[in-house]
Amino acid sequence: MPKRLDVIICGGTNCSSSHSIEIKEKIEKELEKRGLKGEINLVVSGCMGLCQLGPNMVVYPDEIHYIRLKEDDVSELVETHFLKGRVVKRLQWTPPNVEKFYKKQHKIITANCGKIDPENIEEYIAVGGYEALAKVLTEMTPEMVIDEVIKSGLIGRGGAGFPTGLKWKFTRESKGDEKYVVCNADEGDPGAFKDRAILEGDPHCVIEAMEIAGYVIGAQTGYIYVRAEYPLAIKRLTIALEQARKYGLLGKNIFGTDFNFDIELRMGAGAFVAGEETALISSIEGERGMPKQKPPYPAQKGVWGKPTLINNVETLANIRHIILNGGATYGAMGTENSKGTKLFCLTGKVKNTGLIEIPFGLTIGEIVFDIGDGIPNDKKFKAIQMGGPSGGYITCEYLNTPIDYKEIEKLGAIIGSAGMIVLDENNCMVDMAKFFVDFTLTESCGQCTPCRVGLIRMKEILNRITKGYGKLEDLDELERLAKTIKLTSLCALGGTAPNPVLTGLKYFKDEFIEHIVDKKCRAGVCASLFYAPCVNACPSEVDVSRYLAYMGDGKLKEAYLVHMENNPFPSVCARVCPAFCEGPCERGKFDEPIAIREVKRLFSDWANEVNYQFSPPENPKNEKVAIIGSGPAGLSCAFYLTRLGYKPTVFESLPFPGGMMMYGIPDYRLPKDTLKKEIDRIINSGVELVLNNEIKSINELRNKGFDAVFVAVGAHESIKMGVLGEDLEGIMGGVEFLKEITTNKNFDVKGKRVVVVGGGSTAMDAARVALRLGAKDVKVVYRRSKDEMPAQKIEVTEAEEEGIEFLFLTNPTEFIGEKKVEKIKCIRMEFKGFDKGGRRRPVPVEGSEFEIDADLVLLCLGQKPKVSKFSDELEINKDGTIKVDPKTLKTSLDYVFAGGDAVLGPSTVIESVAQGRKAAVEIDKYFGYEGEFNFSLREVVDTHYDEEKYLKPISRKTPKVVEIEERIKSFIEVNKGLTLEEAIEEARRCLKCDKGKEVYKKNIKELEKTLNKVI
Amino acid sequence: MKKEEVFEKFESKPENILLILHEIQDLNPNKYLTEEDLKRVSEKLNLPYSFVYGVASFYTMFSLKPRGKYIIRVCESPPCHLVGSLNILNELKKILKIDIGQTTKDNLFTLEITSCLGVCGVAPAMMINEDVYGNLTVEKIKEIIDEKRRGK
Repeated sequence: MPKRLDVIICGGTNCSSSHSIEIKEKIEKELEKRGLKGEINLVVSGCMGLCQLGPNMVVYPDEIHYIRLKEDDVSELVETHFLKGRVVKRLQWTPPNVEKFYKKQHKIITANCGKIDPENIEEYIAVGGYEALAKVLTEMTPEMVIDEVIKSGLIGRGGAGFPTGLKWKFTRESKGDEKYVVCNADEGDPGAFKDRAILEGDPHCVIEAMEIAGYVIGAQTGYIYVRAEYPLAIKRLTIALEQARKYGLLGKNIFGTDFNFDIELRMGAGAFVAGEETALISSIEGERGMPKQKPPYPAQKGVWGKPTLINNVETLANIRHIILNGGATYGAMGTENSKGTKLFCLTGKVKNTGLIEIPFGLTIGEIVFDIGDGIPNDKKFKAIQMGGPSGGYITCEYLNTPIDYKEIEKLGAIIGSAGMIVLDENNCMVDMAKFFVDFTLTESCGQCTPCRVGLIRMKEILNRITKGYGKLEDLDELERLAKTIKLTSLCALGGTAPNPVLTGLKYFKDEFIEHIVDKKCRAGVCASLFYAPCVNACPSEVDVSRYLAYMGDGKLKEAYLVHMENNPFPSVCARVCPAFCEGPCERGKFDEPIAIREVKRLFSDWANEVNYQFSPPENPKNEKVAIIGSGPAGLSCAFYLTRLGYKPTVFESLPFPGGMMMYGIPDYRLPKDTLKKEIDRIINSGVELVLNNEIKSINELRNKGFDAVFVAVGAHESIKMGVLGEDLEGIMGGVEFLKEITTNKNFDVKGKRVVVVGGGSTAMDAARVALRLGAKDVKVVYRRSKDEMPAQKIEVTEAEEEGIEFLFLTNPTEFIGEKKVEKIKCIRMEFKGFDKGGRRRPVPVEGSEFEIDADLVLLCLGQKPKVSKFSDELEINKDGTIKVDPKTLKTSLDYVFAGGDAVLGPSTVIESVAQGRKAAVEIDKYFGYEGEFNFSLREVVDTHYDEEKYLKPISRKTPKVVEIEERIKSFIEVNKGLTLEEAIEEARRCLKCDKGKEVYKKNIKELEKTLNKVI
Repeated sequence: MKKEEVFEKFESKPENILLILHEIQDLNPNKYLTEEDLKRVSEKLNLPYSFVYGVASFYTMFSLKPRGKYIIRVCESPPCHLVGSLNILNELKKILKIDIGQTTKDNLFTLEITSCLGVCGVAPAMMINEDVYGNLTVEKIKEIIDEKRRGK
C-alpha cells in the first residue's frame, strides 16, 4: 500500500554528527505512539548536500525541506505536519532558499543521495539500479562499453584528470592472466568529501560500475580502498556488498552469465599519501603506503604486479548513466573540454556549505554567490582555494571563469579532488600558505629529500614571516625551493605541494610583503603581529582593547586618553565611522561583536562635557609647517604635530573648519556643536587656523617661510554621469547640495520631487536631508541591488524607515526638460556575471526604459579632488588624486606631503585621520627628528570587575533612536546613544584578545603627562 | 572477541595486515598495539618483525603506546582551520590538561589531530572514537567532555 507521506531524513556523516539518527528514532517512537506507522514511510538517506544546515529532512510529495532539526522538535513535527498536514514554518527552509541552492545544480550522480535508503538494495533496484550491469552483460561487448565511455568524454575525477575510456582500453589491452579493478576511496584532500557522500548515499552505484569495469578489462576481483576515517561509508559498503551477493548481483555467474566478480573491502589507517595510486597499491598489498616510480603504470603493473584499473569513486558513479543513456547523451552536457557534471565540496566562508553537483560550464561566481548564497556576515570575498594542497587560488577578478578542467588550470588552480574553500577578507594568505605546507609536510612519506627537507625549509621561512621576522629575500628563496621540490619529487604529493605557496605569491604578493616590511597582517590572523584584531583592523590603529578595558571599570578619562593617542576625533568616529574594528571582533564568533562605536561615544561626550583640553607645546620647535585643508586629515596632522612639538598653521578656503565632516555630514548624524568642540580642542592645542583663505600655489607657502607642507584638500567635486541633459537646471552633485544647505539657509527643497542617483553614504545623506527640508517625495535610483550598496547598513535601513523610495537595478540614461529638469529617462538593469572587484555586474535590459518625474536631481556617484591648481607643482595621478609614496606620504616635491581624500579618493574619516597622523610623523622625520611620540607605549590594563561573569552569551546593546515621525521633521540626532551603565556593561563583554601579548608597562598618569607636556 | 579470533577471522595473508592490526588495536582497552601484538602478527603472517613494525608506525591511526578510552581526533584541515579549529584544540588542551599526543592521567582521553575528516560542511569538527562531532564551539566541547566523563 502506498504511504501517505515519504519522510526522508539525511543520514550522512555531517547530519548524523548533529544527531539525525537519534531524531529518526524519536520520530519512529512518536509515530508508533500515535498509530501513524502504517501511513508514513520513514527513510534514512545519504547526503542531501546541504550540510551546513543539518540535520536535514525532506517530506514528500510536497517536498517540504526542514533544517537544523533537534530532538525536541520531533513531537511538534509529527503532530502538526504528519498528523494534521500543516507545515511547521519555524523549521522550514523557505522555498526561495531551496530554489536558490538547487536551481543551478544538476543532479545526476547524486540523484539518489538523499532519496533512497542506501542500506536497502531494493530501493536502488527500484530506481533502475543494476540495469546498466544487466545491459552490459547481456547486450554489449567490452569494446562497445569502452566506445561508449570514450564517446562520453568522461575524465577521471580523482584529481589527475586522465580520460577514463582510454584507461579502460589500456588496461583491457594489457596482457595478464589476472587483472584487478580498484576503487580509490581514500579521499584525503582537506576540504573534500564528495566520495564519502556517494559511498554513504548510494554505495551500489559504485559496486555496479566496478563490475562493469571488471567485465570490460577481464578482471574477477575488485578492491575498494576506503579510508578508516569514514566508518559510516565502511558500514554501508559492507552492507551493500552483502546484499548484492545475496541477490546474486555479485559473485559467481552474475545475471546467469559466465561472468564472475567479487569485491573486497580494504581499509586505510590514516595516511594521506596512500591516496596516490602507486602508494594505494602498496597499501592494498599490506605494505607501508609509499609511492613508487611510474612507469610502469598500474594499467601494466598494479596490484601483485598484475594489470590494474584504478578509478575514483565519483568516476565510477558516472558509469551507469553513460551505459543507460549512451555516451553521446552524456557528452552533450558540459563544455568542450569537460563533459558531464561535477561534484564539488563547497566549504569555508560561504552561507550554504555542502555537497553540490553542477554541469561543467557554470561559473565560479555562480557557485559562490548563487548556490552558496555569498559570504556570511557581510564580509568581502577574497578568493576561492581549489584542489586542496595540490591546488591554488582563484581571485575575485576571475569569478566569470567557467568550471572547466583547462580554464581552471590556466589560472594556476586545479579541479583536483573538488574541494572549494571560500576565503573572505579575514583570511590571511601567508597563514594559508603556511598551513598547506604544514599539511603536506606532515603527510610526506619521506622518501624524497626535496619533499621531506625542502618543505621544512619552506615552513621555517613562512613561520618567520608570520612572526614578523621575515626578509624580502625570503620570497625569492620560497620560489626557488618551490620550483626545486616540484621538479624533483617522485610523486604528485611532493610535485604539487608548493602550489599553494606559488599561487599565493602570484596573486597576493603584496600581503606577503606587508607582513615582512610593515609587520602587518591585514586579515588579523598572524597573532604575533598585532595586539588584538580590533586594533589591527583600525586604519589608525586606535587601541580599542585598551580603552574598552578602562571603560569596563568606568574610567572615562583613561579611555579617552588612550583614544587620543591615535585619533583626535572620537566624537565624530563614534557617530559616522563604519567601525572597521567591529568586523573581526572575536566576540562576534561567540555571540555578537562589541558595540565599540557606541562605547566610544560615552567617553568622547564626557570629554566634551568637561571641556578637556591639551596644552600647547611650551618650547616649540623652530620648523614651520603649513597644512592646506582643515578636514579630518589636515586637523589630525595638526594635532599630532603639536604633540611632536610644532605649532602648525592650517589654511582653509571655506568659512568653517572641518571639511567634509562639517559640510558633508548632516546634523542628524553628527551635530555641528559636537563637531565644533572636537575641532576647537585641536586648535587650542597649539594650531593657528586661517579661514577663508584658499592656497593656490605651494610655492606661495614656501615664500612665506614654511619648511614643510601637508596637502589635505579632500575630494569635493562630484563625478558626472556623462549622459544627455546633465547640464539642465535642477541637477547638481550630492556633495555640492549638502554644502549648499549648510551655508545657504534659503535653499528651497519644499514640495519638490527629488531623485538621488547613487548608493553610497553621500546618496543616503542627500536623500534624507532633502526629505527633512520638506521635499514632496524622495527617490533613490541605484544601478545595483540593496546588497551591493556601499552605504552603511544602518543608513539604508533608517532611510527606508523614513519613507525614502528605492529604485534598485535602475540607471538614468537621459535627463529631460526645457531649461529645467522635468523627467529622468531610466533603464532597468540586470546582473550578468561579475566585475573585477568581485561585485555583480549590472547590464541594461534592452527595451526596459521608463520615465520618472523630477524637480531636483542629486548625483552622488562619488567625488574627486580638485587639485588641478597644483598640477604644475605636484604629480597628479590619472584619477585626479595626488601621487604620493605610500610609505612616507611624500609627493613629488620633497618638502610637500599629502593625505586624506586628496590622495585616497573619497574615503572615511578614520582613513583620513590615519594619514594625517602618519604625515605628522613623517614630517618630523623629514626635519631629522625621531618621529616618535613619547606616549605611544602600551601598558597592561588591570580590570577590577568579574571577567568570568561576562563569558556567557550576552547580546550586543543597541542604542535607542528618535521616533521616525519626529526625526523626519527636524535635524535632531537620530541615534540617542547608550547610557553610561549600558556602555560599561557592553565594554565588559570584551574578550581581551590582547591578554598575554608582550606589552610595555606604562602608567596612565604618565600618559596624560606626555600627551600634555610636549618636549 | 579475543585476539586469537582475529587471526581466525582473516586469512593469514600479508595483505590482511592492516585489517588485522585495526581489529587487534580495537580489542585493547588502551587502544594500542603492544610489542607482543606485533610479534604475534609477524609470526602469523610470516613477515619479519621489522616489516610489521614499519607498517604499524607508518600509519597514523595505529599507536604503539597506550591511549585513553576515548580518542579525540581534532580535524586540522583548512575548512576547519578557517572557522577556528585552533580555538577548539586549545580549549581541549585546557580542559583535559594534556597536549597533542598525550593521554589524561585517568586514561580516559587521548588528544590527537587528524587530517580531513570529510565533514567540512559542519566544520570545525572532531571524532571521538567512531563518532563525528561537528559545528563545534567552546561551549559544546565542554558539554561533550562532561558527558564522556559522566560515562554517557
